[in-house]
Amino acid sequence: MIEFHEVTRKYSRKTAVDQLTLTVHPGQLFALLGPNGAGKTTTIKMLVGLLRPDSGTVRVCGHDMVDQPQRAIESIGYVPDQPFLYDKLSGREFLEFVAEMRGMDRAATAANIARQSENFRLDEFLDDLAETYSHGMKQRLVFASAFLHSPAVLVIDEPMVGLDPRTVRLVKDLLRERAAAGTTVFMSTHTLVVAEEIADRIGIVTQGRLHFLGTVPELQAKLSAHEASLEALFLELTEGDRRKPEPMPTPLPESS
Amino acid sequence: MSTKASAQPGWPLADAVGPAAERLSPRDEDRAFWRLRLRLARNMAREMLTRMRFRLTLIVVLTGLLWVGMFWMFLDGFAFLEHGIRHPETLDQTIRAVFSMFFASLMVMLVFSSAIILYGSLFRSPEVTFLLTSPVRVERIFLHKFQEAIVLSSWGCVLLGSPMLLAYGVVAEAPWYYYVLLLPFLLAFVYLPATLGAVACLLIARWLPGRQNVVLVAVAAAILGGVAAMGWWLWTGPENDLLTAGWFQEMLGRLRYCEQRLLPNWWLSSGLLETARGAWSEGLLFLVVLIANGLLGRQVCTWVGGQTYRPAYNALFNRRGGRKRSRAGWFEALLGRLSAGLSGQMRLLLVKDARLFRRDPVQWTQFLIFFGLLALYFLNIRRFSYDRHYTGWVNMVSFLNLSVVGLLMSTFTTRFIFPMISLEGQRFWILGLLPLKRETILWGKFLFAAGGSIAPCAGLVLLSDVMLGVAPLILLVHQLTCVVLCVGLAGIAVGLGARLPNFREQSPSRIAAGFGGTLNLVVSTLYILAIVLLTAVPSHFYLVAQAAGESRMLDDMALPDRRWLEFYLTSGVIGSLVLGAIATAVPLWIGFRAFRRIEF
Repeated sequence: MIEFHEVTRKYSRKTAVDQLTLTVHPGQLFALLGPNGAGKTTTIKMLVGLLRPDSGTVRVCGHDMVDQPQRAIESIGYVPDQPFLYDKLSGREFLEFVAEMRGMDRAATAANIARQSENFRLDEFLDDLAETYSHGMKQRLVFASAFLHSPAVLVIDEPMVGLDPRTVRLVKDLLRERAAAGTTVFMSTHTLVVAEEIADRIGIVTQGRLHFLGTVPELQAKLSAHEASLEALFLELTEGDRRKPEPMPTPLPESS
Repeated sequence: MSTKASAQPGWPLADAVGPAAERLSPRDEDRAFWRLRLRLARNMAREMLTRMRFRLTLIVVLTGLLWVGMFWMFLDGFAFLEHGIRHPETLDQTIRAVFSMFFASLMVMLVFSSAIILYGSLFRSPEVTFLLTSPVRVERIFLHKFQEAIVLSSWGCVLLGSPMLLAYGVVAEAPWYYYVLLLPFLLAFVYLPATLGAVACLLIARWLPGRQNVVLVAVAAAILGGVAAMGWWLWTGPENDLLTAGWFQEMLGRLRYCEQRLLPNWWLSSGLLETARGAWSEGLLFLVVLIANGLLGRQVCTWVGGQTYRPAYNALFNRRGGRKRSRAGWFEALLGRLSAGLSGQMRLLLVKDARLFRRDPVQWTQFLIFFGLLALYFLNIRRFSYDRHYTGWVNMVSFLNLSVVGLLMSTFTTRFIFPMISLEGQRFWILGLLPLKRETILWGKFLFAAGGSIAPCAGLVLLSDVMLGVAPLILLVHQLTCVVLCVGLAGIAVGLGARLPNFREQSPSRIAAGFGGTLNLVVSTLYILAIVLLTAVPSHFYLVAQAAGESRMLDDMALPDRRWLEFYLTSGVIGSLVLGAIATAVPLWIGFRAFRRIEF
């Protein structure tokens, strides 16, 4: 379970997250949506222990992220938007290192790596050095490492960036599977179609404040737009926070 | 929402949420990280042995040559002292002073280098983002990066220290266990300054977050101030003439300050000297003192790391969000005026590179420290009163100073100019999609490097010449040589940077430390030596002959000899110009050719 209680985080004078209170229960797939600079990444960084709130508390499976960060992190599988891999390790060696840090024995490590390798189709490059991987291959490997220890909480920042359509489908299915099996899934995304398709609940955040929390039908009801897509609802909800777009500049006349 | 709650086959629901992970003991964590390092080292070694044999051979050969050169120099130096100083007590004092001064300097450098390296790896490396979101104790993450910083900052210490200590062992006919204990002594020693640097780095990041630029400038100013004060104290008011026995005794007395018994460099010097003398038990005692203090330092900085690392990481992000307004518009306006004759595109590229340079304090503080140190030395050069002892020294020292300025510039072109193309390559989609010729990019880098280096280098050389009081003709030759050096070094760095880019690496220091950077440094060094020898040797003989003629000691010098010297001097200057032109044009041509064909 994930709990944010009146969490505020500032950068100098700018408030990135303002009084965020939110609970995501086990078995729930939650999608955090918002325009650029709304505070999504700051929220995720506080959730995985990279940043501390200025006020309020973040708890994961009952452990406070400031007081017991290591305990809380033990329950988390994290997929960042910019995956990190050791260039001079092969994918298998990387997964073995992650498994070792997670306290798995050799047999469990081998079995879990085999399973994730099959899930994410890593076999063809698992024994190559990571420096030879494309962005999509790296992302798949990082997904595998996050799923390796079957975490109670999955935190995913922009899950679909750099993935091919087949892997996107796979990831969506896996996330639903995990949620159905009791995992708490927290993801931040700009891909509204994905959120609409797989999320149980969504939160829309603008300028650090949570403007909406609920399901897509609840959002439709709130905005009295029953047939509208999530994209239309999102744009309507965040319209007030956006400046009117600048008119396109007049094209320069072509030189004769 | 068709896929909601539709569990797919293949994932057993029973273990969908795994049991709480078993927390690793500190010993198991240690093993996991050692295994990681071994795997990384093994994979890297395998890759180098299979795919980079030529590079590996070149690096080994060049390092070996450097090591042998230093060993020979130290061997000669210690033999000179051994034969020159007859009094055993004075000899002992001298060797102790040399050791203490050498290791005190290393200690100060290690404190700063380990702090700077650790700052980069603890707060800027993507690896720590991964590790901080893993279930590893924060003390382990800190130790992992701390040990990495020790290796990176101390290999130079071992490279510099080992030839000196081996040479001393040979001259002093030290027993076999002296050689066995050398490495343990050096390793135990480097731990202590690295510990100090690590604690300083953590405390600055924790309590002065976002003020690293201020700290860097303050440190640079402190180093310059400290060296200036030390130089002043050492060289002011010597009672005796340069290099006389009295002067020597006076200097030894003044260097006693670095033989404080509470300093690790004294423990190291004493331990090594006692061991070399055959007093192995005293030597071991000092080794144990170093190890014990090193272990205590490790405990202290691990504790400080555990307490401050996460809060420091968090505090740094607090400051990063603040908007920084661009300042120093005057600098760019000046640059704009200076480059008024260039095309608009070229001017924009120059301003962009100047902005990047100005906003990266790591670059300009290093520039400031080393050029400031040289300027201090040049300002104090009169105190050595070379001219009182031998007129030829003035010319020799002036050319040595010119070479030092050139060598310093070559390290900067290797460290900062060579990696520019590699770094540009990673963002090439920006420049590559602009209506800009690829050649313009390289010309921009070349003009930035040459233009940026000529003014400080020529200024330093002018200062050295004025303080030494060299003849106007030689001053002119020096200024010309300096311009030739700067242009050639810029051409080599830009040309080789474009020919041997490394688009995988993000860190400029790692790009510079690779094969291309090493080759750039070697070629630049050879180029400097060739240029200086072409102009220095004829000028030296010309001046010697002139001075001898003026003093009527060689009035009967044959006319052809004088003509020959004039010819030698003229052809040396012309030769250096030709060599400069070749060294600029050929690497640039190679670089342009490669850059046109390069695929990003």
